[in-house]
Order: sequence, then structure tokens, then C-alpha cells
Amino acid sequence: MENCVSMYSNMSPSKSTSRLVTKNLKKCYNGVWAVKNLNLELSPGEIFVLLGPNGAGKTTTLKLIAGLLHPTDGSIHIEGTDLQEEPIKAKTVIGYVPDEPFIYDKLTGREFIHFIAGIYNVKHDQYEQNMNKLFERLDVGDWIDEYAESYSHGMKQKVIMCQLLLHDPYLILIDEPLVGLDPKSGKTVRELFFELRDEGKTLLICTHTLSFAREIASRIGIISHGELKFMGTFEELAAISGASDIENMYLKLSEG
Amino acid sequence: MNHLHLIVSSRWKNIAASIASMKLLRLISFIFVISCFLFGAYYLFLRVFGYLTTVEVIGYALMDRIIEMAFFVFFIMLVFSNVITSFSTFFNNRELDFLFTLPVQPTSIYLAKLFESCTYASWATMVIALPLVVAYGVVTQAPIFYYPIAVSSIFIYVIIPAALASMLIFAIFRFLPRLTSRDVIILSLVLISGLTFLYVRVNNPALLKIFETENEQELLQYAANLTAVGGTYIPSTWLSNILKGCNGDIHQGVFYFFLLLFVTFSTVIIAFFVAKILYAQSWLLVGERGTQRKKRISILSRRQTSATKALLAKDILLFVREPTQWVQLFVFIILLAVYVFSLRRTPMYFTFPLWRTIIAFANFAYISFVIATLGVRFIFPTVSLERAGIWLLGSSPFSFERLIKIKYFFSLFTAVIIIECLLLLSNLLIKTDQRLHVTMPFIALVVAASLVSINLGMGSRFPQFKEDNPSKIAAGSGGILAALMSITYVGIMVIILATPAYYYLRGRFLNKPHNVFMIVVACVLFIIINIATIVLPLRIGILSFKRRDF
Repeated sequence: MENCVSMYSNMSPSKSTSRLVTKNLKKCYNGVWAVKNLNLELSPGEIFVLLGPNGAGKTTTLKLIAGLLHPTDGSIHIEGTDLQEEPIKAKTVIGYVPDEPFIYDKLTGREFIHFIAGIYNVKHDQYEQNMNKLFERLDVGDWIDEYAESYSHGMKQKVIMCQLLLHDPYLILIDEPLVGLDPKSGKTVRELFFELRDEGKTLLICTHTLSFAREIASRIGIISHGELKFMGTFEELAAISGASDIENMYLKLSEG
Repeated sequence: MNHLHLIVSSRWKNIAASIASMKLLRLISFIFVISCFLFGAYYLFLRVFGYLTTVEVIGYALMDRIIEMAFFVFFIMLVFSNVITSFSTFFNNRELDFLFTLPVQPTSIYLAKLFESCTYASWATMVIALPLVVAYGVVTQAPIFYYPIAVSSIFIYVIIPAALASMLIFAIFRFLPRLTSRDVIILSLVLISGLTFLYVRVNNPALLKIFETENEQELLQYAANLTAVGGTYIPSTWLSNILKGCNGDIHQGVFYFFLLLFVTFSTVIIAFFVAKILYAQSWLLVGERGTQRKKRISILSRRQTSATKALLAKDILLFVREPTQWVQLFVFIILLAVYVFSLRRTPMYFTFPLWRTIIAFANFAYISFVIATLGVRFIFPTVSLERAGIWLLGSSPFSFERLIKIKYFFSLFTAVIIIECLLLLSNLLIKTDQRLHVTMPFIALVVAASLVSINLGMGSRFPQFKEDNPSKIAAGSGGILAALMSITYVGIMVIILATPAYYYLRGRFLNKPHNVFMIVVACVLFIIINIATIVLPLRIGILSFKRRDF
């Protein structure tokens, strides 16, 4: 499977235009390799979806790129900035949504948004109008002034999605975007991702929802036991796996 | 009972796994610090009791009264802390969402959680009470069987407040379901304060009186009063009678031991039946209330234009909106106000300048100890209370160093206001010497800076992001370590400051020459130790946070 990665690596964007470059990225937890030699190169206007079974290393990869984990080895460059060398500069262009949405229980959704705006030094006038539109789009308007302790998982996820766009990040990292969302919100989120892609943002998404991945991904990566088994488009995936449907493509490569 | 065993054993396995995963060095350091503290406290009590045995006429009686008074204060504090812990353990606990879906009797859940609540609420009392009773036994040359009886009596004793607090909380939530958790905690505290006040007024125990006389007859009468029973119907008196009984009247000791055991057992049985009727219902009512929708006015708003302001505003809002946080601070402040204003009634012989200076010094030590306690409860958990939200700060262009520094200066600002107000007010009431009026606020500032650094540094070194109850965070191994470090620091400061204070008093009141060398040594030690305690813990916390994986 190593070949699958190298075979299509020449189709990746050139280094000068890359938004995210990881080189030989490794992460070891107590002697167990969660991520092994991960080489990624993502360009602007791309949605890259990382697929893989539970415990494959997807969340670890996202956390490494978000700066929440220290790599055991290797490097991460975001917009040309080394994340280890200049973490503050690199993080100004990152937007991250974790797999478990967390909002402080005793803050309202609106207060949480204001708090994030403060952390990113975003002026109120810069985001107020867009944020109100986004609240309406994601159907959080009725809840936004209530304490987060009364929110469902999906409601928290929607508020976190709203905060994601506050500081206009170039590189967006999202872990399991559809968990807890109702079908209508799922559709809105999908549309939102396309809009972001069209604006030239780069999205790196981890998911288990194969149909969603099929629909939105510019390229996909399949990771298993910390190793990237495949990276390329769906057409390339179909060609290499010999399977016709996404489920079988995924199973062949992730279990292979 | 099988279910109870399963719940408790799974909890124990969890704790055992946490201990097993601790690095050996950390475990050894932890055991070492706890042992140092226990021996230090034991030595301190030994010295105090040893001194009292040399005081003629009233020495032994005074020692017994101190023990009884300590147990009385412990009891009230245990009920307070159990009420606050009970809410989070019996209701606001994610594990319960799982346990109540299982075919398990609510009483099994209750008993398992009662044990947990009791442990969290009582550990601090145990750490003080155990060296206290051992020192008392050594000084009174108690027989060997005294020690197991005294220690087991304390373990039995702490169960009563836990059971009482759980019944109180269940009853309030069941019959006044519209009350918020904040209302319930306030109501419980008012009830407990009212009952305590009523007890003190009705029983009028001599234990709370300060005696002042130079008349021998009155002194003998006072000694006789001291030996009288303080309050027959409260467990603190039974406990002190057990200790006294072991040293003399064995029958009395045995009687009160079995009385304590019987009452504890009966209280748990009553609490068990109360839980059987009320627990599941009140838990459901609390859960339903949690889903009630209510619009709030956004307080954290557009004014937070910088990261520092946003972080501070968020921290203040979360503190104000969380009753388990500010109610405890409120109780602390009330107790401190009572203490400070009680200084106004210092006895006649304390009006001499020498005594005033000694009292001012003791007052400073006490206030530092209080700030140390407040630090463990309120400053240690601040980093952990970022909880899972740490992903947000970790992935933002907001450095952890800045986060900890902001928390440090804000905590220091709050601690300095409390410590300086207390000191200023108490020194005014004691009518302290002018020179101490000038120097003590400066020393207090340095002590506050060190205590905040110790607690915030250790809080950053040993964060618990999965725990949302600040009392439980403070009761964890890191919190215990911070508590012991803070108290040890206060002890060392008191010893160091006692040297110049001693020479100052000697020079002023006995006209003896100052020992400049000793004063310089004390000052140098004060500076070195405080530089170390301000810089090192904070540095350790920041470095550990930077290296941490989230």
C-alpha cells in the first residue's frame, strides 16, 4: 500500500502553493505508534477527507496539525510557517473543530462566540452580521442566548461550526463534522464546506460517513494503524481498489 | 448488594489504575510530601499540647477543650463540605446518567456515591485530625489500644455529616424541585448556619468563650467549667469523650464509642431509606430542570476586544454563575469576618503591647494559612476548569504561557485584596504597632505571590481536564500536593519571620540589643525562599503545560 501513496503523490500541488505540508510526521504514545511517517501536502481550495477505522490515527493527525499534540518526529508547515518553530503565527490561520464539541456550560452560545472573537482579536463589527446570518442558516438562533448546558450534542456542534469562521481561517480542520447533526443541518454544513472551498480555503476533514466523504472530497486519504495507505481522488481509489462502491473501496484499502 | 459491590469495585479499579499509571518518582514524592505534612502537623500539635501540660490548674482541661472545640468545628465544616460535594456527586455527575439506565437499585447507587462524597468532603479534615489525636495520645501517655480506637472513631465520625448532608439535599430537591442548585446550596447553608447558631445559643458551650481574669477563685471555677461536658447530644462531644475515656474512665470511652457507632449506623440506615424513597425521584427532577429553556442576556459581549479581557471576563462569569464556586467563597468570607471581628473582643491581658505584637504575628500566620487554603480550593483548579475547552486555546494563537500568566496575575490581584483587607482590619482591631502596620502588608503581598504561584503552578502541572467539579479537582493528588506545599511554605515563613519578630520584641520590651546577624539571615532566607516559591512552581507549571499533549 506504500505504493498507492507514492504513485499519486506527483498529483499533489507543488510545494510553493501548499497550504499544509507534513513531512515524515510521527507520533508515538507510550511505545505505540499512532501516526507513522505521514506526508501530506494540501493546497488552497481543496477538501481533503481522511478516512480510517477507529484508532487508525485520524484524530491524532488532526490534533498534531492543530498544535494540540507534539510530534515525536517530522515537521508541519502551515502557509510556509513551521508549527513547531512559530506556533502562534501558524495558528492564526487555523480553524479547528474537535470530535467532541465543547462549550463552557455556563456561557450562552453568543457569549462563547464573543469569547472566541476576543481570543482571536476579531472586532465585533467584523463578524456580527455574518455571524447572525450563520446562526439563522444553522438554525441556532432560538438557542444562541441560552446556557450551553441545555444544548444537545448537535446544537453544540453547530455553535462550534459558527465560531470556526470568526477569524477567517485558511486551513480548517474538522473531526467528525456530521456527528449529532440533523439531516437539514448536515446539508447546510455540506454547502458551507463547498462555499469555503470556493473561497480558496483548505479543509481537512476526518469522518466515518463514507457517502459524505464521497460527496465533498477533492481528494481522500485512507489511514490505518497510523500509516497512510492511500491518497488520491475517488477515481484513483476505484482504480486501485478494483471496487465499484465507496464502502468496498474503503474496506479493501483500510484492511489491506 | 452485588450491584453495590460492582459499582464500588469498578471505582476502586479506576483509582488503582490511576495510581499504577503514576510515575514512580511522582508517587514517591507524593508519599514523601504527605508524610512530611503528617509528621509536621503531629510535631506542631505535640509541642502545643506539651506546652499545655505544663500550665498549672487549667492545662489538661484546656487541652481537652481544644480537642472538643476542634471536633465541633470539624463537624460543622464537614456538613458544609458534604452538602456542596453531595450535589455534584449525587446529581451533577455524568456517571449517573449511565448508572440510572441500568437495572440497579437507586440505593446501591446511593451507597456507592455516599462513600465517594464522604471521601471527597472529608480527606482534608482527616489529614488534620489524625496527627491531632495521635499527638494527644502521646502527650497524655495513652495506652496502646487508644490509637486504633481513636483512628477508627474518626473514620466513623466523618460518615454522619455525609449521610445528613445527602438526606438534606434529597429532601430539598424532592419537595422544592423548582429551586436551582444555587438556591439549594444557599438554603442548605442557611439551614446549617441557623442550626449551629441555635445550638451555640441554647447549649451555650463554654468552649467558645475566651476567659479573662487574674483572680485565682475565678480561675478554678473556669477550670471546673472546662471539664464539664460541652454538649451531650452532639457527636463531637462523644468523640472527645472517647479519647478522654481511653486515658482514664474506660467505661466512659466504651460507652461513647458504641454510642458513636450506633448513631452513625442509624444515620446511615435512615439515610438509606430516605434515599430509597427520594433519590431516584429527586435525580429525575433535577435532570428535567436541567433541560428547561431560558433566554439569558449576553454579558460577555462586544467589549471583550482583547484576548486577555475575553479570558478574564469568561473566568469571572463562569465563577459567578457556578454556585458551588462562589457559595464556598462566601462561606469562607463569612467565617473570616466572624474571626476578624472576634479580635475586637480580645481579653484584657492582650491589651499589653507585647501581647498585641504576639497576637498580630499569630494573626498574620493564621491569615496566611487561610489564603493557602483558599488558594488550593480556588486557584489550583482554575487551569483544570478550562476542561475540554483547552482544545480551543491550544489550537488558537494564544500561548499557554500567556494563559497561565493572566490567571496568575488575576488570582494574585484577588488574593492580595483579601489578604490585605483582612490584615488591615485585624491589625486595626488589635491596635498593632505602627511598624508592623507598615511591614506586614508588604510581607503579605510576597506571601500571596508565593501561594498563588504554588497553587497555579501545581494546578498547571497536574491538571484534571475531565473533572468539572472544582472541589474534586482540589481533592485530587495534585491538589493535596499543592495544599501540603502551601501549608509547609506558610510554616517555614512563620518560622523565618519569628526570628526578626523575636529580636524586635526583645529589643523593644526587654531593652536587649538586637541580634543584627540573625535578622539579616532571616531576611536573606525570606528573600531567597520567596524568589524560589514565586518563580519555580509557575515555571514548572508553564513548562509542563507547553510539553503536554492535549
